[in-house]
Amino acid sequence: MKFLGHQLKSPLVLASGILGISYSSLRRVIKDGCGAVTTKSIALNPRKGHEGPIWAEFKGGMVNAVGLSGPGIEIGIQEVEEFKQVCDAPLIISIFGSSIEEFKKLTEYTNNSKADFVELNLSCPNVSDEFERQFAQDEKLVYDVVRAVKGISNKPVFAKLSPNVTNIKIIAKAAEDAGADALTLINTLGPGLLIDPIARKPILKNTFGGISGPCLKPLALKIVYDVYKTVKIPIIGIGGVTYGIDAIEMMMAGATLVGVGSAVYYRGQSVFKKILKEMNDFMIENNYKSYEELIGKIHNG
Amino acid sequence: MDKRYTVKIKKIIDECESVKSFIFDMDLKAKPGQFVMVALYGVGEKPFSIASTDGKELMLTIKKFGKFTDELFKLKEGDLLSIRGPYGKNFSIRNDNLLLIGGGVGVPPLFFLSRSLFRKANITFINAAKNKNELVLDRIIKNHVDKYVIATDDGSAGIKGNAIEVAEDLIKNNKYDFVYAAGPEIMLVKGVQLCEKYNLNYEFSFERYMKCGIGLCGQCVCEPTGLILCVEGPVLKRKDILQIEEFGKFKRIATGERKYFN
Repeated sequence: MKFLGHQLKSPLVLASGILGISYSSLRRVIKDGCGAVTTKSIALNPRKGHEGPIWAEFKGGMVNAVGLSGPGIEIGIQEVEEFKQVCDAPLIISIFGSSIEEFKKLTEYTNNSKADFVELNLSCPNVSDEFERQFAQDEKLVYDVVRAVKGISNKPVFAKLSPNVTNIKIIAKAAEDAGADALTLINTLGPGLLIDPIARKPILKNTFGGISGPCLKPLALKIVYDVYKTVKIPIIGIGGVTYGIDAIEMMMAGATLVGVGSAVYYRGQSVFKKILKEMNDFMIENNYKSYEELIGKIHNG
Repeated sequence: MDKRYTVKIKKIIDECESVKSFIFDMDLKAKPGQFVMVALYGVGEKPFSIASTDGKELMLTIKKFGKFTDELFKLKEGDLLSIRGPYGKNFSIRNDNLLLIGGGVGVPPLFFLSRSLFRKANITFINAAKNKNELVLDRIIKNHVDKYVIATDDGSAGIKGNAIEVAEDLIKNNKYDFVYAAGPEIMLVKGVQLCEKYNLNYEFSFERYMKCGIGLCGQCVCEPTGLILCVEGPVLKRKDILQIEEFGKFKRIATGERKYFN
């Protein structure tokens, strides 16, 4: 299918933060059926992230607080170049800055990389100690960051937004008005808290962690639904997609592409193949000839 | 659903220099070669191979290595630890003539294997260490093997020499059907060369920095195949090991940067 001038072999995208550190795992995900991949969010400098536990499970989902570990933009870009040497599928480089200035510096690097798209992580909920609040919670900040990056980026720019806002439509519109080429919805919810009752302690070292997994699906669907009606730019729908039917629903709500993340845990590395097979089965049974037909289907019957 | 067990340390055994065994009353259904993630709340969480589990007790044999183990070694019997798992691929079960090569902290998972296969297979176990004071689990391995060989770099116990030199001598004079190994990466890389030289089939357990233990975070991915060591390892089969080019060359540290071995 076509997406912003690129040809994708499927509407599935590896969501940021999952297996996205090394070029080889990105390539493997493409081989398994993803149409595009997103790197783990890259900051200017190397980051160790939080100490463990960084992950814990509950019925319906999981919480994580990895803390944006990563090698920094210089090495991150080397991994992108290595990926591009062995794979021609579109790559979305996710970048994370603590200020507009940092986002602009990061964009200077991405301009000189072979990445196809730039995704602005405006909404990681796990680094609130370092950063007073998320960009994604303030429409003015969203507008300013997107505008600043768009002003210098030589690649299309996506804004990754947070579900933790009063009115997502206002934020989404701000990103579109600032020139965003697509929106990535949604980042993890919360953060939330899980407790070890025997030890009487929070499980995560960071105390709180972003909520993901199947429990997110209804919220993600609703947000994609709302935003689809509000903006004209394409949406990458993410949140609890575990089975083919979830991806179909996400596209019907208005997503052009569908992100897969935590499902790698529930169904293993072959999850992309499985989801695609299930999507194709549904489409054959229900007489859909192309992925494009699914997009926004519930809005127009 | 992932299981997290918050359990009291039942017993702590001082094994040798900088190595302790922690014993818990718990029924962890694990196989030799698998690992658990151990959390010390407020400090961190690290992966450890299982040194044995029998449905009643779990034993983890751990070397003091850094900040996490410094704190772990301050704990006393009765203190709580939080354990999740078991995770990862186990050693395959065989009943023929086996050579087990354990170096340092690689010894515990091989002890578990040896204990499981004893009297079902013919087991030769090389326990290798720098010196006598660093021999891991020396007190109990001998009860679960057919032939026990100690190798130390300085000759302070057993044969003077490194694990692989000692293994080559054994391979020359005996017929083994399969080789298992766990230990420092340089030993494993030499072990691969040795097994290939004599065309012996093998499974080795490798180690990488792990953060989630469940195949999500990507910190332990190995080049160039994208193998996810925490779910597709830590025990790897011959064909998988031969595909990984980074073994013996580099590993990724906490930030994801490559750190080259000297």
